[in-house]
Amino acid sequence: MTTTILKIVTRNLLFYLTFGLLLLIISTFVIWPILKVVSFAQLENFSELFTNSRWSQAAIHSLMMTMISTLSCTFVAFIFAYTIARLEIPCKGLFKFITILPIVSPPFIVGMSYILLFGRQGIISKQLLNLNVDVYGWHGLWLVQTITFFPYAYAVIYGVLKKSSPSQEYAAYNMGSTHWQVFKNIVLPLSKPGIAGGALIAAMSILADFGNPMVIGGNSTVLSTEAYMQMIGWFDLSSAAILSTTLLIPALGLFLLNRQWVGKQSYTTVTGKESYSSHYPIPSYIKWTLFSFCMFITVIVLLVYGVLFYGAFTTTWGYNWSLTFSNLDYVFSKGKELTNSIQFAVLSSILAGVLAFPLAFIVQRKKMGMNRFLDFLSVLPGAVPGVFLGLGFAIAFNAEPLMLTGTAMIMVIALTIWNVPTFYSTLLAGLQQISSSLEEASQNLGANNLKTFRHILLPLLKGPFISGMVVTFLRSVTCLSVIVFIYSAKTSVGTVSILGLVSNGEWGKASSFTVVLISIAFAVLGISQLFFRNKRNANDY
Amino acid sequence: MRKNIKLLPFLFILFMCVFMLAACGTGEESETVAGEGSKETASEETKKTEEPATDRLVVYAALNEEDIVEIEKKFEADTGIDMEYIRLGGAGEASTRVQAEKDHPQADIMVGGSVEFYQPLGEQGILEKYTSPNAAEIDDKFNDPNGYWQGWYMGVLGIVVNKERFEEELSPKGLEMPKTWDDLLDANYKGLFLSSNPATAGGGYIFAATQLFRLGEEKGWEYLQGLNNNVHHYTAGAVDPINLIATGEFAAGMSWAHDIVKSAKQGYPIEVIVPEETAFEIGGAGIIKGGENTENAKKFIDWLLTKEVGEMNTQLSNRYSVRSDVAPPQGMIPVDDVKLVDYDRTKAAEMKEDVVKQFTEMIGQ
Repeated sequence: MTTTILKIVTRNLLFYLTFGLLLLIISTFVIWPILKVVSFAQLENFSELFTNSRWSQAAIHSLMMTMISTLSCTFVAFIFAYTIARLEIPCKGLFKFITILPIVSPPFIVGMSYILLFGRQGIISKQLLNLNVDVYGWHGLWLVQTITFFPYAYAVIYGVLKKSSPSQEYAAYNMGSTHWQVFKNIVLPLSKPGIAGGALIAAMSILADFGNPMVIGGNSTVLSTEAYMQMIGWFDLSSAAILSTTLLIPALGLFLLNRQWVGKQSYTTVTGKESYSSHYPIPSYIKWTLFSFCMFITVIVLLVYGVLFYGAFTTTWGYNWSLTFSNLDYVFSKGKELTNSIQFAVLSSILAGVLAFPLAFIVQRKKMGMNRFLDFLSVLPGAVPGVFLGLGFAIAFNAEPLMLTGTAMIMVIALTIWNVPTFYSTLLAGLQQISSSLEEASQNLGANNLKTFRHILLPLLKGPFISGMVVTFLRSVTCLSVIVFIYSAKTSVGTVSILGLVSNGEWGKASSFTVVLISIAFAVLGISQLFFRNKRNANDY
Repeated sequence: MRKNIKLLPFLFILFMCVFMLAACGTGEESETVAGEGSKETASEETKKTEEPATDRLVVYAALNEEDIVEIEKKFEADTGIDMEYIRLGGAGEASTRVQAEKDHPQADIMVGGSVEFYQPLGEQGILEKYTSPNAAEIDDKFNDPNGYWQGWYMGVLGIVVNKERFEEELSPKGLEMPKTWDDLLDANYKGLFLSSNPATAGGGYIFAATQLFRLGEEKGWEYLQGLNNNVHHYTAGAVDPINLIATGEFAAGMSWAHDIVKSAKQGYPIEVIVPEETAFEIGGAGIIKGGENTENAKKFIDWLLTKEVGEMNTQLSNRYSVRSDVAPPQGMIPVDDVKLVDYDRTKAAEMKEDVVKQFTEMIGQ
């Protein structure tokens, strides 16, 4: 009797300790920095949002752009995820590559590559097709945002589609349902957590992005670009704080809408029962339509990154296309920045996972009063523009008790926090699929919480975990916004050098730097994939 | 057995994390310890010539990398002071950082970028007052009457033209290369011209204000309206038009002359024109209050104002020196021939909000 009580007490104690610790970490590194920046906003200036026509325009553009881009991102992401997870088609490896390549989005260079290709004098738009198109404006931005951010949604949706067992679909087919009925009534509803999670993370990233609107947006501005420029261009912290705080409102709205939509239904398809190994065949005309769609997007992405890659080895970027290797000289003098980039990215993606895992677990499994709050805090850092978060870090951790200015620690922590939302959404969607009956069974058999977590959940969540890790790693390598106010001479990273080169007009060197950075990042990914492969083969046995 | 295998990668990752973080930490500590050690021995040597002052200087530099590298080399050679710099993207970024760190300043001096960014920092009490003895040799408009900032170079606004596109499309229409701001009103530039937005770009605002000072309120707005008919779009940053014109997306635009020259040197077919009645920005330097090496920061300012440094920076950055005895940057007209508009900085700052508002309404997105 007493031992069971003791057991319950210790079990709960461990749980509450974890919960408390998480809350402490999140409040210190999310709420505090954000509050520090928000406090720059003078309350009476908020009315400017309505009187300043530029700002109200920006707010409307932000909302519009987020809405349409999220829809298109989710659509593209779903088609990619479905095609890769369910269909027997060639080029799967290529498609998979295309779903991570746009995550590598170094500052400004990708935007300029789009202009070289699809601009008014673009290689494709003008020289090849002789069209008279104008990319500058909302439609051009829509295209760019769709391609830049669909991978974020993909990472979540794919994890869900891949895991969902086809047994229900087989049952439906056996009872005479058509393909469309099965898709509409089974596949789509069961993918809801994935679609919702993916859409949310894409929406927040689009809302917070300032780089693409700056290059492609033309005269139409969005809130995050405006906030960035007020800070960088005019050093008007109050205005920047107002604009950034305003961004939190649609972010909160998106979040609530999202959680409402997913609701409390059950989406579990991973139940531990026996499952079919292959999916029900899909008619070939559908298959090839989806294939062509993916191919189309693939070609665009390859073109954009092809231009970037080619530009790295040209004499005068975007003008004189003759080949040279001289741009690389500069890169090799910046070994420290490259090493820092990779080191910080590896650390922060791992730490983000370590943090996101228990967060997702508590929110999804333990129904507690504080859950909604914890849930929101976990996605909040994704909704504020990176510069805003970075500035918060610069202010908040430049005094005792947490004097972190200039250290590698502050870089890693800032990147970690910025990555938590992406990682968390991926894991949350994964968890929603796994029936808790598996854990109950494990506990009934005498395993404790930790054991269950380790042996049941961890292996089942391996897919989402790895895709979360890949996404966050690549994001960190090419992140500029978060670290722009907190790097020091010793902790400078590759993207800082890229920005320096771009603002110096040296686009050739900037793209060769980018190419080297991307190559190293993918090499690291390749090596770690080999490592994980071997481990899995040993385990799956 | 299987259990252990499964736990391994997880433990391994955690271990790696802790290890790498620890490595970062210790690496830094040992570096700083080493740094302090060498500092002590070095300072003992210099003690003979100086008071207890340190022999270090930490600089926030809103300058191009090559420029600051050369400045570091020369400053260390000239003074023996060990200079460490952090290069920042621009003066906005630098001043945001300085303000964020005001409780524990991390740098001694901020250098580069328009003095417009130094003014508010001075007013907030973040900058240390200092007037260099060398400032006496310099025109008064480059010295802060309050002593918070010191001007040491000057950038002017110019017109950038893509020569190839101009020759192909505009010359056949009988157009000559633009020489004045007014030449830009020609309807042939419609849709081919870029400028930057005063709401977001410092240079964009200085340009708009210049037209108002040059032509007066009413005519000035007429000018901006007329130009607006030709402008394809206003970029967020002042230098953004250059690359779009260099690669041939657009034919002409407005930006900082030194940035245009810089791009032209990369091999792009562009040319800079400095029109009459152009506007200028004063590049500043300011000492951060509460830095560890304030004395050295003062020495740095004295040093910046010498003729030798002025010449070096002009060559490197293509910007005019504030010293009248320094030759103009290569490819640019002598400073005496640059006809500057009568630019009232105080008034420009006061009317900014209204101008931006009216401008926004005018371009009516």
